[in-house]
Amino acid sequence: MMITILALSAAASPLATHRAILAPESRLLAIRAEQVVLPDGGAPARGVILIEDGRIAAVGPDVEVPEGAILVEHRGTASAGLVALHSYSGSPSEMFDSTRSVLPEARVSLAFDPANPDFADALRAGITSIVLTPIPASLCGGTSALVKTSGGVVVRGEAQLSLGFSSLALRNNRFPTSFGGAVAELDRLFEEPEGVFARAAKREIPVLLEASSREDVARAIAFAQRHELTGAISGAAWAGELAEKIHSAELSVVCGPWRIGEERRDLLAVLALEKAGVPFGFAIDAPANHPLMLRAGAAMCLREGLGRATAWRALTSDAARIAGAEDRIGSLSKGLDADIVLWSGDPLDLGSTPQAVYVDGKLAWKDKP
Amino acid sequence: MRALTGWFQLGLCAASLAAPAIAADGSTSLFIQGKRIILRPGEEIQDGAILVRDGRIAAVGRDLRQPEDAKRIEGAVVCAAYIDAWGALGLGQDSLRDPTTSAATRTVDGLDPWADEHLRRETLRAGVTVVRVQAGADARVGGIGALVRVAPDLPAGDAVVQPACSLSMSIGQAAPGEAEGRDPFERIADLDRVVSAVETGKNYLIARTEHRYELEEWEKKIAEKETELDKDAKKAKKDREKEQKEAEEKGKPFQEKKYKEDKRPQPPRYDEDSEILGRVADGAIPFFVQANRSSEIRGLLTGTAEHDRLRLVVVGGAEALACSRMLAERRIPVLLAPVPRGRLGSNEEETAPLSLAGDLARAGVPLLLGTGGEDAGASRDLPLVAALAIGNGLERSKAFEIVTLGAARAFDASDRLGSLEVGKAAEILVLEGDPLTAGAGVRYVVSAGRLVVEPGN
Repeated sequence: MMITILALSAAASPLATHRAILAPESRLLAIRAEQVVLPDGGAPARGVILIEDGRIAAVGPDVEVPEGAILVEHRGTASAGLVALHSYSGSPSEMFDSTRSVLPEARVSLAFDPANPDFADALRAGITSIVLTPIPASLCGGTSALVKTSGGVVVRGEAQLSLGFSSLALRNNRFPTSFGGAVAELDRLFEEPEGVFARAAKREIPVLLEASSREDVARAIAFAQRHELTGAISGAAWAGELAEKIHSAELSVVCGPWRIGEERRDLLAVLALEKAGVPFGFAIDAPANHPLMLRAGAAMCLREGLGRATAWRALTSDAARIAGAEDRIGSLSKGLDADIVLWSGDPLDLGSTPQAVYVDGKLAWKDKP
Repeated sequence: MRALTGWFQLGLCAASLAAPAIAADGSTSLFIQGKRIILRPGEEIQDGAILVRDGRIAAVGRDLRQPEDAKRIEGAVVCAAYIDAWGALGLGQDSLRDPTTSAATRTVDGLDPWADEHLRRETLRAGVTVVRVQAGADARVGGIGALVRVAPDLPAGDAVVQPACSLSMSIGQAAPGEAEGRDPFERIADLDRVVSAVETGKNYLIARTEHRYELEEWEKKIAEKETELDKDAKKAKKDREKEQKEAEEKGKPFQEKKYKEDKRPQPPRYDEDSEILGRVADGAIPFFVQANRSSEIRGLLTGTAEHDRLRLVVVGGAEALACSRMLAERRIPVLLAPVPRGRLGSNEEETAPLSLAGDLARAGVPLLLGTGGEDAGASRDLPLVAALAIGNGLERSKAFEIVTLGAARAFDASDRLGSLEVGKAAEILVLEGDPLTAGAGVRYVVSAGRLVVEPGN
């Protein structure tokens, strides 16, 4: 199927950027691009990505294209697919119970609709993996899921354990009704932890600490330190002021989601995180927001002075690490999933656009020729 | 001693000549050097300079010499500053959301030149120095929009570029508190209201012009009568005396002869809204109509087709591509705010596809770009919005033209804004890279001749 698409596109337009050499029996795919964004952080240079069985078999400037491999020539930049850290794509009203505040067994991975158009939107924006999170309206909303934006592939069925520290998690008709009560209940759950709480306490699964005010962030940091948890805080606007504390607690941060006209304070918080050495990634919170705002948010941070390398890591490898899947996604490294975006130019420039997106080595989306 | 004072004064003069002069109004003499100077879209010079004096561009060229009193700044790329064709900077929520605005409501009257100062600074740092603001975002008739400078603390003359740059109306705009747009019948009524507003303006104009001619005619007639009477004054006096005598003799009361003069023609009743609509119908003020559905855009185009002086601009235009041929033929611009929006709660027919800007440009439809006119902080992100439009198919050079000279032209300000030409106001960006790219890096911003952004501020 993929071969046919490539062959057709080559025949349809003399300007096509993709040229396929037909080799139907081959399982090898090679992408040769003018610029390849490598994980070493160096300037992108001409190179080849070799893909076998949906994984990256080799990548670099000196990789030879083996005989019989399907070759895709790309005149722009090739990079790893982007990773969005916080979203409700295909699962907007899931994971909320009006009677119970603690839902440790709830999994978004069992509740999302992979055919939802949210995923196509994300794919076209160059996003190949998304962390689907429970809405932060519970003390424990269950576990988030790391999924691919094509084919409904679940990479991590239980990516993070979601814990609510914001006022959103409190209802006046449901226990607990106060911040103090909430922290006491969470402490109780981690005292002699069972099930998923036990795994979080043993750092087998990271936590996602949902916050929205400065005090929420402070409580979340203290809680994570008290129970020696690993994970990330969501709620960047306020996390910036506590960047040093987050760093000493060895936590990460999920920043955003971003909108046009975003408050500068939120953007400066990201710079504070960079300065403190806190790893961070970005939220999109689709479908309320458009997935294109992932890159637009990074562009805003760049304008305010964020380093290019930090911004790129936040969109890819740091996000993958926060999602607990740096061994699967987030960079063009040998052995990782072949999630590759072919851009018209610099991926950090909003004037560039994805022209083709590969997920697990398969062409998942392609711009009209 | 006297001689000494003289020397001292001379010394002061020399010192003030050597230091960069800041005039009383805050404008500075600037000598701006650039590796690449984009004079106007499509025309540039290499290794040139621009001299700014008294708030204006005094000279542009490759062989300019730096005057001693001018402050020198330099950068890789120098170009005209960006114009946001649809913003909300400096407008309070009460004016912005005022549902009672009418055609004669002037946005300038609601502007607070001191409001949003931190947003103004951020917006300038992003390279946007001029914004069109429009009150009454929720009203069917938004009133008269204004083209204003972003920089704070400017004298009134510099703060407002064009006090009447647009009249805004809308079709299908949801009223405040309404979650959804209007129902079909209300939408049809909205369209009728827009078309009849132009008719009203035209009729008012016709009535006023007719009155002017009638008044001229009447005045001429009266003047003729007066000369006639003057000429026959003696005879008339004699006749009068004779008649008076006769009446006395006959014992009858004397009846004065009366001259019946034509009644003075009355002007049409003054109506401030119709005054403005008249100027709109006459093309003196551009007519910005928010319309998203193709049926409504088509209705708007056909309904106003006979008003050949009208300068229509379609705002929003989510389905404008369906009418692109008509729009291109009549050179009617579409004002887009291509801000990516999520799927949640968005109306299919009112959400423009991201590729719309590129598609319309390719179809030959003139374009304007703005940030949506609802969020004062959004004007800062105009360059990002334009870059997103580029990423979704709009040509980079086209996008640059739209946010500089194109916008200036649409608001009748191209004699002052939009390009780097001698005599125009100094609205200048000094960048590290190409405009509207990730590497643009705004270093200096000049607005109304003042250096409003410098590295590190």
